[in-house]
Amino acid sequence: MIRHASETMMRQRDRREGRKTGAARRLLGGALLALGLALPGVALAAESAPVTSPRVTATLLSGRDTVAPGERFHVALVQKLAPHWHTYWLNPGDSGEPTQIHWTLPEGAKAGEIAWPAPRAIRVDPLVNFGFEGQVLLPVEIAVPADAKPGETFSLKAEATWLVCEKICIPEDGTFTLDLPVGPAGVTDEAAQQRIDAALAALPKPAGFRGRLAADGDRLALALPGLPAGSTDLRFFPVSDTLIEHAADQPAKPGDGPGVILTRSSAFKLDQPEISGVLTFREGGEMRALTLVADADPALVGKAAEAGAPAASPPAARIPVPAEGADLTLLAALAFAFAGGLILNLMPCVLPVLFIKALGFAQTAHRSRAETREQGLLFLCGVLLTFLVLAGAVIALGALGSSVGWGFQLQSPPLVIALAVVMVLIGLNLIGAFEIGGAVVGVGDGLASRGGRLGAFMTGVLAVIVATPCTAPFMGAAMGYAVTQPPAVALSVFMALALGFALPVVALSFAPGLLRLLPKPGRWMLVLKQAFAFPMFATAIWLIWVASVQTGPQGVLAALVAVLAAGFVVWLVGVTRGGLARRAFGTVLAALVALGAGWFTVENAVPGADTQARAGDVQPWSPERVAALQAEGKPVFVNFTAAWCITCLANERVALSRQEVKEAFAELGVGYLKADWTNRDQRIAQALAEQGRAGVPLYLFYPGRRDGQAEILPQLLTPDMVIAAARRAAGRDAKTAANAP
Amino acid sequence: MESLTRQTFIAGLAWAGLSLTTVAAFAESAAHVGQPAPAFQAVDADGRTRSLSEFAGKTVILEWTNHECPYVRKHYNSATMQTLQKDMAKDGIVWLSVISSPPGEQGYVEGLKAKELTVQRDAAPAGILLDPNSKVARAYGAQTTPHMYIIDPKGTLAYMGAIDDKPSASPSSLNGAKSYIRQAVAEMKAGKPVSEASTKSYGCAVKYAPQS
Repeated sequence: MIRHASETMMRQRDRREGRKTGAARRLLGGALLALGLALPGVALAAESAPVTSPRVTATLLSGRDTVAPGERFHVALVQKLAPHWHTYWLNPGDSGEPTQIHWTLPEGAKAGEIAWPAPRAIRVDPLVNFGFEGQVLLPVEIAVPADAKPGETFSLKAEATWLVCEKICIPEDGTFTLDLPVGPAGVTDEAAQQRIDAALAALPKPAGFRGRLAADGDRLALALPGLPAGSTDLRFFPVSDTLIEHAADQPAKPGDGPGVILTRSSAFKLDQPEISGVLTFREGGEMRALTLVADADPALVGKAAEAGAPAASPPAARIPVPAEGADLTLLAALAFAFAGGLILNLMPCVLPVLFIKALGFAQTAHRSRAETREQGLLFLCGVLLTFLVLAGAVIALGALGSSVGWGFQLQSPPLVIALAVVMVLIGLNLIGAFEIGGAVVGVGDGLASRGGRLGAFMTGVLAVIVATPCTAPFMGAAMGYAVTQPPAVALSVFMALALGFALPVVALSFAPGLLRLLPKPGRWMLVLKQAFAFPMFATAIWLIWVASVQTGPQGVLAALVAVLAAGFVVWLVGVTRGGLARRAFGTVLAALVALGAGWFTVENAVPGADTQARAGDVQPWSPERVAALQAEGKPVFVNFTAAWCITCLANERVALSRQEVKEAFAELGVGYLKADWTNRDQRIAQALAEQGRAGVPLYLFYPGRRDGQAEILPQLLTPDMVIAAARRAAGRDAKTAANAP
Repeated sequence: MESLTRQTFIAGLAWAGLSLTTVAAFAESAAHVGQPAPAFQAVDADGRTRSLSEFAGKTVILEWTNHECPYVRKHYNSATMQTLQKDMAKDGIVWLSVISSPPGEQGYVEGLKAKELTVQRDAAPAGILLDPNSKVARAYGAQTTPHMYIIDPKGTLAYMGAIDDKPSASPSSLNGAKSYIRQAVAEMKAGKPVSEASTKSYGCAVKYAPQS
C-alpha cells in the first residue's frame, strides 16, 4: 500500500507527461472490467458479487472459504477505482467522507473496525484530501461465535457507503453478502488470503514510541523521538480533522531530535491529552508507515481556535501574481520576440560586429544604393537562416525529450571555447592583426564583389552566433512560450526574433538618410574599429571564464590552447601568402595545428564532477530547500542563473550583489538560493518550464509562509526593485501591512 | 565590458518599463474567527457588483454552494437549507450564497440559471454571488460545499465551518443534526460569545479556478 502511495504521488507529478500511458491504462482497465462483468455469478464464494459504477468496482473478499466456530478471520472491502478517482481515509482531509461499513452478522458474531491503510495526500489545489487511489483493501476482522454449528451457514452482510471523487464527488453505496459454510475447521481461500495478508502486512505498524505535540508559536511541533535516523519525506496524517491544516507543508522540526512542524487548523480543537494518526516517511528508499500516538502539551488541550488568535494562514490564501510567459498569447510572444531581437543588437558581443557592418554601408553609400540594399538583404538572409537552424535544433531536441532551452548550446564546453576563439579572431581582425578580405566582417575592399556578398551573408550568420550568449529582455518569456508550442508557432516566434535582430542593419541599408547621420568616413573609423576589438576580447575572457566554471582548470588550458592555435593559424596563413609551395606548406601546417588544438580542446573540456560555484551565504537551490525555508517563515529569493548568461551576470553585478540589497536581505531574513544552470540540469530545466520559461535569467521571490506562491521579478533588475520585492515577500510592504487581518 | 553591460542594462530597462509585470499588491486575506472578515467584491446573479462593506451594520451569512454537490442537495432536497435561509431573513440577516466553480466545473452557473435554481428550489438567499475565478473562495479559504461563514454587524467573522454536525450526504443524517448556524446566531442575539465558532466543514471540495 505504502509503495503504491509513492507510485501514485509520482504518477500525479508525471501526469502531464503520462497522459498517453494513462489513456492506455484506462483502456486496458475498461477491457478487464468488461471481461469481469461478462462473467456474472462465477464470483467465488470467498468474494461477493461486485457492486460497480463507472468509478468503482467494489467487492467483499473473505480469507476463508469455510469458517470454524470461535475463530477470527479477515474480510476486506475491495475498491478498485477508475483512474483519477479516489475514496477517503478515516480523516478525509479538507473535503470528503470516509468509507463506512454497517454490518449485519449472525447472532454472536462480531466485526471489528476498518483497519485503515496508510492514506495518501491527494492534492486538488488549493485543497488536500487524504485517501486512496487505484485499488484499496479495507480489512475488517470478523469473530465467529464459538457456538456456531458446523453445517450451518455463516452469513455476512455489509452495507457500505463511500464517497468517490475526482473533482466532482459521488456518494455510492453497496450491499455485499457472503454466505460461508461453517465447518469443523476453517478452510483458507489461498488466493484471497494472500491478497488480504498483503494488505495487512502493508498496514501502518505501531510506532513503538510516543510523539509529543507542543505549541510552536502559532503552529504545532510534533516531536518524534523514536523516528529512524535518516528518514525523509515525513508526513503526519492525524485522525482528528480539527487538528491541522491538511494542505499545509510539514517541514522538519528544527532543533534537537526528529519531528515535523504542523500548521494549526482554523477549526483547531483538542479535547484529549493525546492525538493519534499515521506517520508516513521514506527510509532507505522505502516508504514506511507507522501508527502514532502523541501526548499533547496540557496547554493545548481544551483550547479551541481562539477568537483573534493569530492562526497561520490557511493554504487557500495566496498572492496571485500574473505568471509572465506562462500564458502569453501568440501575438504577445511575437511582439516580445521582436523587441528582444532588437535589444540583442546592443549586446556588447554583437554591437561591434553590427557597427562595423553599418560603417561598411557608410563607405559604400556613395557608390551604389542598390549594392547597399543588396548587402542589407543578404545580411537578413544570414540572420534568418542561422536562427532557423538554431530554432530547428531547439525544437528537435525538445521533441526528443531533452530539456533544453535557449542558451543550451553554451552548456557544452567545447562550443563555449569555440565561441571564445571566434571572439578572439574577430578581435584580432578588428585590431588589424590580419585581414580576410572582408569575408568575415565585411570591411575593406571588394564589398561589391562576390566575396562582399558572401561577406554580408556571413556577417548575418556571425552576428547570430555571437549573439547566442546574450539573452535579451523579453526573449525569456517569448522563448519559454515558443518551446511549449507546436513547431510552426515556435518557428514563427524565432523568426520574429530574427526579424527584430536584423531590423537595424536592414533599415540602415535601405535608408541612406540615416547613413548621412554618420560622420564622413575617415581615420576615426579605423580607430573605432580597433577600439571595438576590446569588447570582443572581453567577451572571449568571459567565455573562457564560463568554460572554467564548467570544466575547471583543464577547460582554461584547453581554451587558451585553442585561442593560441587559432591565432597561430591565421598568422601562418597571412605570412605564407605568395608562392604556391609556401601556401601549400602553410595550409598543411595550419590544418595540423588546428586539428591538434581541436583534439586537445575537446579532450580537456569535459565537465568535472562538481564544479558548481558556491558562494558564501548563497545556498544551492532545490524545491525542498524553498519549502523548508518558507516553512521557517523566511522569504526565499531564487536566482536561476548560468555563468554563460550575460543578463544574469549583469543583474548580479548591478542589483543582487549591491550592498543595499545584501543588507535588505539580511534584515528581512531572506533565504537566497541559486539555481545554477551553467551545466545541464533536469530539475532546473523543469522548474523553468513550470514558470513558462525556457532559459535563464529567472528571478522568483517566495513569501515566507508555506505554499506561498512566488512572485516573478522582471528579467532586468534594479536594487530598488529587488528590495521592494523582498519587502513584499516578507510581508513588510506598506499596503499589505495595512490590509492584513 | 562592465560599462557596456551597464549601458545595455539601462537601455534594456527602458524596454522593460513597457512590460513590467504589474504585480498587484494583493493583500493576503485569510478568514479568522474574531478578526475582520476579508473584504470582497463580486457580481451577483443580477449582474450588480456587491461588496461586504455595503452590509455594514447587518449580520451576513455566506453559504458556499454547488447545486450539483450531493451534500448541498441533501440540504436543499429536504428543504432544511431553504427553511434556514427564511428564518435568518426574518431575523434581518443577509444571506449570500456564493458559487465559486469556474466555467466547465461542476456547480458553475450564470446569473439566469442561478436565479432559476432559487425559484425551483424555493430558496431565499438575499443574493447569489458569482465567483467564477474563485477569488472570494480563496480570500475565505472555503474548502467545501456547503461551507458557512457568519459575519457580525461590525464586520468581524463570528463563525466559520460546517452547516451542521452530521458530515454525511445521506438525507437520514439530517435527523437530530445540530445546526451550528442556528446555535451561533442564537448566541450572538443573546450577546453571548459563539461557543463553537470554528468547526470542520464537510462536503464536496470547492472547485477552484486555476490561479491566474
